[in-house]
Amino acid sequence: MREETNNSAELLNVENLTVRFPVKRGGFLSRKAYLYAVDDISFSIKRGETLAIVGESGSGKTTAALAVARLVNAFKGKVQLGEHNFLELQDEALRKARAKVQFIFQDPYASLNPRLRAEAIVREPLDSLGIASPQEQQVRVNELFKSVGLRPEQQRLFPHQFSGGQRQRIGIARALSTQPELIICDEPVSALDVAVQAQILNLLRRLQSEMGLTYLFISHDLGVVQHMCDSVAVMYMGKIVEHASRKDLFNNPLHPYTSALLSAVPSVDKKRRAETKRILIPGDPPDPIDPPKGCRFANRCPVARSICKEKEPPLRALSSTHKVACHLVDEKAKSPLL
Amino acid sequence: MSLNQEPIDVARSPFSEAMEMFRKNHAAVAGLVILILIVLGGIFGPFIYQGDPFEMVWAPFSPPGEEGYLLGTDYLGRDLVSMILHGARVSIAIGVSAAFLTVFIGITVGALAGYYKGWVEEILMRVTEFFQVLPTLLFSMVIVALFGASLPMITLAIGLVSWPAVARITRSEFLRIRELEYVMAARASGVRNWKLIFKVILPNALPPIIVQAALMVGSAILFEAGLSFLGLTDPNVVSWGQIIGSNRQYILDASYTVTIPGVAIFITVLAISLVGDGLNDALNPKLRQR
Amino acid sequence: MSLLKIENLRIELTTRDGIAPVIDDLSLELGAGETLSFVGESGCGKSMTALGIMGLLPDKIGRIASGTILFDGEDLTQASDARLREIRGNDISMIFQEPMTSLNPVYTIGEQIAEVLRRHQNLSTAAAWAKAIDLLDAVRIPNPKARVNDYPHQMSGGQRQRVMIAIALACEPKILIADEPTTALDVTVQAQIFDLLRDLGRQTGTAIILITHDMGAVAEMAERMIVMYAGRKAEDGPVDQIIEHPRHPYTKGLISCVPHLMASLSNDRPELVEVPGIVPSLKSFGRDECLFASRCDRADEKCRTQRPPEMSFENNQNSACWQAGDL
Ligand SMILES: Nc1ncnc2c1ncn2[C@@H]1O[C@H](COP(=O)(O)OP(=O)(O)OP(=O)(O)O)[C@@H](O)[C@H]1O
Ligand SMILES: Nc1ncnc2c1ncn2[C@@H]1O[C@H](COP(=O)(O)OP(=O)(O)OP(=O)(O)O)[C@@H](O)[C@H]1O
Ligand code: SF4
Ligand code: SF4
Ligand SMILES: [Mg+2]
Ligand SMILES: [Mg+2]
Repeated sequence: MREETNNSAELLNVENLTVRFPVKRGGFLSRKAYLYAVDDISFSIKRGETLAIVGESGSGKTTAALAVARLVNAFKGKVQLGEHNFLELQDEALRKARAKVQFIFQDPYASLNPRLRAEAIVREPLDSLGIASPQEQQVRVNELFKSVGLRPEQQRLFPHQFSGGQRQRIGIARALSTQPELIICDEPVSALDVAVQAQILNLLRRLQSEMGLTYLFISHDLGVVQHMCDSVAVMYMGKIVEHASRKDLFNNPLHPYTSALLSAVPSVDKKRRAETKRILIPGDPPDPIDPPKGCRFANRCPVARSICKEKEPPLRALSSTHKVACHLVDEKAKSPLL
Repeated sequence: MSLNQEPIDVARSPFSEAMEMFRKNHAAVAGLVILILIVLGGIFGPFIYQGDPFEMVWAPFSPPGEEGYLLGTDYLGRDLVSMILHGARVSIAIGVSAAFLTVFIGITVGALAGYYKGWVEEILMRVTEFFQVLPTLLFSMVIVALFGASLPMITLAIGLVSWPAVARITRSEFLRIRELEYVMAARASGVRNWKLIFKVILPNALPPIIVQAALMVGSAILFEAGLSFLGLTDPNVVSWGQIIGSNRQYILDASYTVTIPGVAIFITVLAISLVGDGLNDALNPKLRQR
Repeated sequence: MSLLKIENLRIELTTRDGIAPVIDDLSLELGAGETLSFVGESGCGKSMTALGIMGLLPDKIGRIASGTILFDGEDLTQASDARLREIRGNDISMIFQEPMTSLNPVYTIGEQIAEVLRRHQNLSTAAAWAKAIDLLDAVRIPNPKARVNDYPHQMSGGQRQRVMIAIALACEPKILIADEPTTALDVTVQAQIFDLLRDLGRQTGTAIILITHDMGAVAEMAERMIVMYAGRKAEDGPVDQIIEHPRHPYTKGLISCVPHLMASLSNDRPELVEVPGIVPSLKSFGRDECLFASRCDRADEKCRTQRPPEMSFENNQNSACWQAGDL
């Protein structure tokens, strides 16, 4: 039951993506088991827009992103990026296609090679993909430094000579260097100080509107997500439990987990504090290696029924902009918590 | 935009910062100076202080100072100064080349194991363990006994028994660094495998390997001395160990024949470990700052 | 009388570049059952204040240069090491920034909690064990009877942080200092821990000092707050008042540079307010100037040459800014 979308506007279309890691289970008689870090998820992003992925630690956000960029191997699924079927590409074709997907990482200290000068870091993708002549490369590096707000003299410096926010700018310049179609930002500001966060978020939004970039934006900070995204996918234990436009998700969260997540965010707004009822979800997620057979959220869900423990709820489309995986959400799109 | 108001400093590579740190470490600098003197002595000494180390120049067992022979003569009446200077060449040459061999094998094995993981790692690490549990002295004695006691064979023997330590360090560094985000970033922009291994990961994995290699020079010198002491050496070249080995029967009557090369080995190895420690501190970013 | 009263506290750190005042002329008061929050960017001296109160400044590097820390009328800056240890065990506890490294991996969590109880409350082994289970229950670890035998690695990050809180509570302290207790945790877990701390304040009258950089958390948790900048108090006062009407450009920046979830979702998303630049380094902390001047868009000559004094407003708000009155 696939809804009608204007396919030409879609830059990225991910279908049934699954990533599993082999894990050792038990000490003595260890049997081979798999952890399904990403379990059969589908989503899409329109060109020039931002899809945010939110979810708690370990829910598979990073793994999904790495699989889309072919930095970990997917067990199955399809990743359609423009005209490329990204997961089918091999060797040289893959290497060339990598120019189209770039990554911005979380840790500004681990994401830059400490032995390279800033300019060499930004030039590395151009070099390895053989894009442009050395002179053209230098011109592009100059432009990139300018557009991320670094001074030309700083090109010769080494990473440890920059502050965290400046390093993140270098990381952004590197990601832009190949003129990618999709930029994956994995928690790009969570390691930064609040004041520096604002600088980077503004920069990302400005670059997006100037260059028409498409972002896959991972974050656990719902305030940041609300500021950055056009649509949101909420992950829980390797599954997407809700996938909706910004407006639908923040105004009308339907999955009980999404509601709990939103209600847990502390706010400076008195009105919001007064209006929001905290939805408690006690306990922890179940063992990811041996997930329960019904709804994975059932053991913490405040409104779980018997059907929830038996049958896994599929991700259903309630409208063209709102999908949710919960048995208790009916066609009227009303939250089961209300 | 008023983002970058901090004064810009000149570009300073991690390497140049490490060297500055090293320079501030007096013990390490002293070790380095001693080491340079020893190497210079080995290279130029024999030209300045001429004489064949194998030639009988005076009565055997003349104590140091007698008849102008600064360090005396050994049991065959050979000049110890000449022997020590020539021996420096051989001992250091063996130390350095064995260390190179060790590092070469160790890095290759460790890098492949740490980068490719999976079955490659399985196999290579089994091989490494095999070499690691071999009784080292016995194994090298067997090699030397089988293939003859030439310098290359001795170097090979030392190299073959010492590379596992380097391989393990390299592998664990590779396992750590390959997961770092800058390596991910390089992969995401299509950097080829060999370039990832040698240009991206290896330079960042080098610091502990360099320290290990420096210390390896010292232990190779000691190892060679041990083999020579047991008589497993090329009789046609002088090394410090060989001087000790050949004079060992007379240790009670003419102790200086053993003490003098012993002290030479001691000073060299000590200087090397001072340098090694200094490198360790300088290259270890946790000790830098504060 | 207030439980904790700090007056003109100055803490100096000895670094390679010389001696710098990492806390410069800090005064505050905390009453029983109150929650006070410290906010500010990284490196502003929030943790140093906490360590100063606890008598845990880094050895040989940090020292209290002047000022008093009165706890229940007793000056902690003059107290002996033994006395400080006693106070740390019984009256003031702290939850540290890193939940993952603060527990000993080789003992079960029950042993670690019971150990604290035995040492500080002279409980018998059996009584300590029973109380450990009660405490785990109090911090809402499910099935505490079984989990008490777990080792730290068998628990999730949030659970470990709850165990840390249980240990901090074990001796029923009068003051609990929580240094960014939820930075490493998910929001749902953070909310549970905040609930826990709030209940605790209400039920036992424990005063809480919450260190954080999240204004939302401050708004939700604390009655009063102190905004720290470069070792100095930039602004302090009642939380609601400050959020509604900050009287210091730095506070204003801290509040508006973060995209907050509001009661209603707005469609247009204007650029976030940027506070340009970064916190100055420790070596410039002592200067006679407003240390925020390099990042402040209202800075003038006076700001760059004279340290602004604290200006008080009738609603108990204080701001160290030359232009506080115009803001
Ligand atoms: N290389 C790996 N081998 C085995 N398990 C892994 C590996 N990488 C991730 N996992 C597991 O997969 C799950 C998802 O991890 P992932 O890093 O994608 O989560 P995340 O949502 O990004 O979390 P966070 O918010 O903490 O970054 C986790 O349970 C994690 O332990
Ligand atoms: N052991 C130390 N030696 C030297 N300087 C230190 C030491 N510990 C902290 N500092 C410095 O003291 C200043 C204040 O540090 P503090 O830890 O109090 O900051 P903070 O406000 O808690 O920051 P964060 O939010 O990062 O925890 C910083 O500039 C820091 O670099
Ligand atoms: S399916 Fe059931 S358990 Fe799952 S979220 Fe919906 S109501 Fe809760
Ligand atoms: S004193 Fe001057 S520089 Fe400092 S915050 Fe106030 S206006 Fe800005
Ligand atoms: Mg992640
Ligand atoms: Mg701190």
